[in-house]
Amino acid sequence: MDKRASVEQLVETIPDGATIALGGLSMNSAPMAYVREIVRQEKRDLTVVAIVAGMSVDWLIAGGCVKKIVSGLVSFEGLGLAPMFRMGVQSGRVEIEEYSEDLLICRLRAQAWNLPFVPTKAGLGTDLLPLHEETGTIRVEVDGATGEHYVACTRLPVDVALVHAHSADELGNVRVDPKLIWMDNEIVNAAERTFVSVERYVDHADVVAEPHRTTYPQFMVSGVALAEIGAYPTSCFPEYSHHTSFFKAYSAAASVPEEFETFFADRVLGPKTWDDFIKSSGGDEMIAEIRRRSA
Amino acid sequence: MTPEVEGYGCTVDELMVVAFSRAMDNDTRAFNGAVSFIPVCGYLLARRTHAPNLVWAASSVAIDANPVAIPESTLSDALWDGASMLSTSPHDFWSYASGARYNTFAFRGAQMDACGNVNNTVIGPYDKPKVRLPGGGGMADLSTMIPKIYLWNTTHNVRTFVEKLDFRSGIGWGDGGDHREKLGLPGGPQLCVTNLCVFDFHPESRRMRVASLHPGISIGDVQEATGFEVLIPDGDIPITAKPTEEELRILREEVDPTSARLREF
Repeated sequence: MDKRASVEQLVETIPDGATIALGGLSMNSAPMAYVREIVRQEKRDLTVVAIVAGMSVDWLIAGGCVKKIVSGLVSFEGLGLAPMFRMGVQSGRVEIEEYSEDLLICRLRAQAWNLPFVPTKAGLGTDLLPLHEETGTIRVEVDGATGEHYVACTRLPVDVALVHAHSADELGNVRVDPKLIWMDNEIVNAAERTFVSVERYVDHADVVAEPHRTTYPQFMVSGVALAEIGAYPTSCFPEYSHHTSFFKAYSAAASVPEEFETFFADRVLGPKTWDDFIKSSGGDEMIAEIRRRSA
Repeated sequence: MTPEVEGYGCTVDELMVVAFSRAMDNDTRAFNGAVSFIPVCGYLLARRTHAPNLVWAASSVAIDANPVAIPESTLSDALWDGASMLSTSPHDFWSYASGARYNTFAFRGAQMDACGNVNNTVIGPYDKPKVRLPGGGGMADLSTMIPKIYLWNTTHNVRTFVEKLDFRSGIGWGDGGDHREKLGLPGGPQLCVTNLCVFDFHPESRRMRVASLHPGISIGDVQEATGFEVLIPDGDIPITAKPTEEELRILREEVDPTSARLREF
């Protein structure tokens, strides 16, 4: 089955109210082409699972797509707080269901492994645990045999995982190559469907010739779409780094609400296709700037 | 620029890095998270001076990295040059961390309390925050797993060092005393390096105690900048040791030639 489609076509299949999970970590490897298209298609009431995120979550909140964020951290690191995340949560417009990295990973594993819970010692003694007393999604328990405390992390269902990768064949065999996958495998394994954006397509014959380079097998992948520089403005190791000046321009615009509205509408959402967006963000000159020294 | 340290021929950021570095022994196996310039400089300096076997996973990914300079993000791949392994997924990372194969972790936060617990989640009430901060990320995890915790803070004042956190994102010594032990957690915070002093922790109460004052700083200055009662050791309070010429040269020329560490000030 040929799983290739456009970013636009795949996003069309995501219903309002869905739970989506975003790959990447912080300034690295976020599925930005999908994120932009979700905003352009005006999806609403999404629950967004993002273990450690930044610009991806911020765009979705800016676009009014988000009901609830399920996350451990959202920031632009040394480049500052994620402005729309900050304002969205402070104003109460966006709900947050707060965990840590490992608590979320354990919830995703409980889902993937079909277990009632996965135990961890993460979070013991912190204020994260009382936040979930009512829902019971994570709870402190004591092992009867050893007397040890642990946190039981229950299943976290995900409708669609969105991740960015280097390449895929027509069947949906995906390469993250080199295999630096952050925590993307955890959301892929837990999700009902996974959509991958890729820098390029490769022939199935190439995949068969070097099967050790495959990261996600075709049966775990529902759709693949071409998006060159598809993680922009985050990085895609080792091909390009995050684009500092975009982060700075975005944060500067965010400090003036009217200015931000124009910036977001024109600069982020204005260009029709992902290629148009990359061209209008500086095109080849910008790409040369973010290509790694070693590339 | 950060202030000069009286009579030491260096600035406060350099003194903090050296104090952090000297606390690292040759059996240190560490990693780092976001915005961690002081510890990253400290690990690299320790490895080039007294702790050649120190293990450091840059960005918690690139093991034994040896970057030519420190980039604007401590989670950037520009920090990974010279590594002998890139951890391809978090699976191995969490195994190394949970089993204390990694034994050293440093973190900071918008607020810290006397027992070395840290808040990086909200300022104000959780349900109606005055400032929504990024969140704890892996802090709640790693602070329960790693036995040797180091804290640092570049803005020592009553807003950062508070009696009660608005939210406990990461656990230090918890409620103090044997709280950590009762939860079954290994070790705990060892030191907290600030721009005014170095704290250790009282062995019973597990509250911060001044271990040394930076030159020109009095105990009164520290108490005034701290929102909880600062414990004082018996006898004279030491002055934070002077960096050697060699430590300063290596830090300035080899470890951090672009002074990326100043991003924390």
